[in-house]
Amino acid sequence: MAFPKQVKPNIDLVPPKTLSARRHELLEFINKDGTYLPKSVLHADLDLGMLEFVKNELKTTVSGKDINVIDKIITNQRWSQFTETWNFKDPDFNVDLPFITVVRSPEVKYGTNPSTQYTIPVRKQFYYATVPTWNGNQKGYDVYTIPQPVPVDINYSVKILCNRMRELNTFNKNVLQTFSSRQAYTFIKGQYVPIIMNNLTDESVIDLDRRNYYMQSYDFTMLGYLIDEEEFQVKPAIARVLQLVEADTSVRQGRRAEIYPPNPNEFEYRLFYTSTNDTLIDDAVEYNIDLSLISTDNVDSWEVTINGDFYGSDLISIQLNTNDVLEVSVTKTNPALESTILYQAKLV
Amino acid sequence: MEKLVPITRLGKFFGGEDYTLDISMGQEWLEGDMNFTVVLYRIDRYKTLQDDVYGEVPEGGIQFLPPIEIKGLVQILQPTNQRLGTSRVRQDEPGNMRFSVYQAYLDELNVDINFGDYLGYYETESKVRYYSVSDDGRVVSDNKHTYGGYKPFYRTIIATPTSKNEFFGT
Repeated sequence: MAFPKQVKPNIDLVPPKTLSARRHELLEFINKDGTYLPKSVLHADLDLGMLEFVKNELKTTVSGKDINVIDKIITNQRWSQFTETWNFKDPDFNVDLPFITVVRSPEVKYGTNPSTQYTIPVRKQFYYATVPTWNGNQKGYDVYTIPQPVPVDINYSVKILCNRMRELNTFNKNVLQTFSSRQAYTFIKGQYVPIIMNNLTDESVIDLDRRNYYMQSYDFTMLGYLIDEEEFQVKPAIARVLQLVEADTSVRQGRRAEIYPPNPNEFEYRLFYTSTNDTLIDDAVEYNIDLSLISTDNVDSWEVTINGDFYGSDLISIQLNTNDVLEVSVTKTNPALESTILYQAKLV
Repeated sequence: MEKLVPITRLGKFFGGEDYTLDISMGQEWLEGDMNFTVVLYRIDRYKTLQDDVYGEVPEGGIQFLPPIEIKGLVQILQPTNQRLGTSRVRQDEPGNMRFSVYQAYLDELNVDINFGDYLGYYETESKVRYYSVSDDGRVVSDNKHTYGGYKPFYRTIIATPTSKNEFFGT
């Protein structure tokens, strides 16, 4: 009877985020420990993501011992290979079997990831974020823009070299379980990058007159994309000047502001007639006022018309409203001289 | 404690004293009379900073232990006049270096030559060419590297020429 290995004594009390909340969570991964912009994802980052994937997700243990993984992509500098493998060498300084190594095809072709393929021409910049700024005096915003990532396909061969069929079987089981839905994901700088399994070939050496060992090669394609922070743009947006004014809010008692010029409630309303004139018209009285006669000079009698209606003769007091039309005609005592009628006006 | 087993083969007419005598005479000839000298640059694998993915260092970034002059038999193979792959760029590619050295001499110096170390060989007073060890000749079990089948006594190191942007001795 099979004994369950993965006994989980605890259950997750916090459900994992989904939909929009999950997308925000992923965005936080992308922006973590940096600016508001995503970090560059270039060839070396993708390669490192593949190495981490093999080291962690395809980790293989046989008889309680981990199979060594050469966790660098071997290149032309020979000494570095020695550095990476010195801790599992035999007395001839050959790498001890079993081990797993990752070989990258040097050529990196334009990607087949459909989400980023041939959609936007000429590296057009797209809005990514608006970031508030403050330089001590001025508050504003910067607009961050980035171009569309460039899709790339990178082919890797993950090779296992070993002497025992059990090691092959265990590694094969790990790979097939991981890629049971054809693809798996590696996590590179906050972004999930898909890896597709293509093919499996056996390159074992089983000649009678040579050293025998198993070697199987698993071919994978990483559907990655390149994000180059050299292409990012930051442009200033709105800037605002903040002016601060200090005012004394305490009020002194016993002091009042003087009104200048003076604004009296009463004033003289003088009607002056030249020697050739005996009628005056004020076609728009500006106030509601009461007129009281003070004096006359060279006036025999006078007649008052308001808004075209006769109002009276020799009036001592007159009531006027704003915009009234006042017409006063005089009969002079001596027609050859000037004459004056003086009223006292009082605002009402 | 290391287990030691005495070598008794060829014992009727050859033994350890003969072996030591012959090797010392050979060393006298090679290291005294011939006096071919190469400079060994052993990589300081702790001080050299390499990148996380490829284990590479940029130009001039390799750190090495103090260089050592070692003596041995130097053979420089013939250069090849060829194109660099399919680039159509012609290049006169220097030949590899085959460097043979007595194991006893390396043991005296307490020096080992590893895959990836660099060898410098002065062709003239002013011209030096550097080589990268591509085969450190560590496996010496074959007949050729044994003294008449008695014991291995020398190593053959194969080194390939390096370009200046990989290593130039500083």
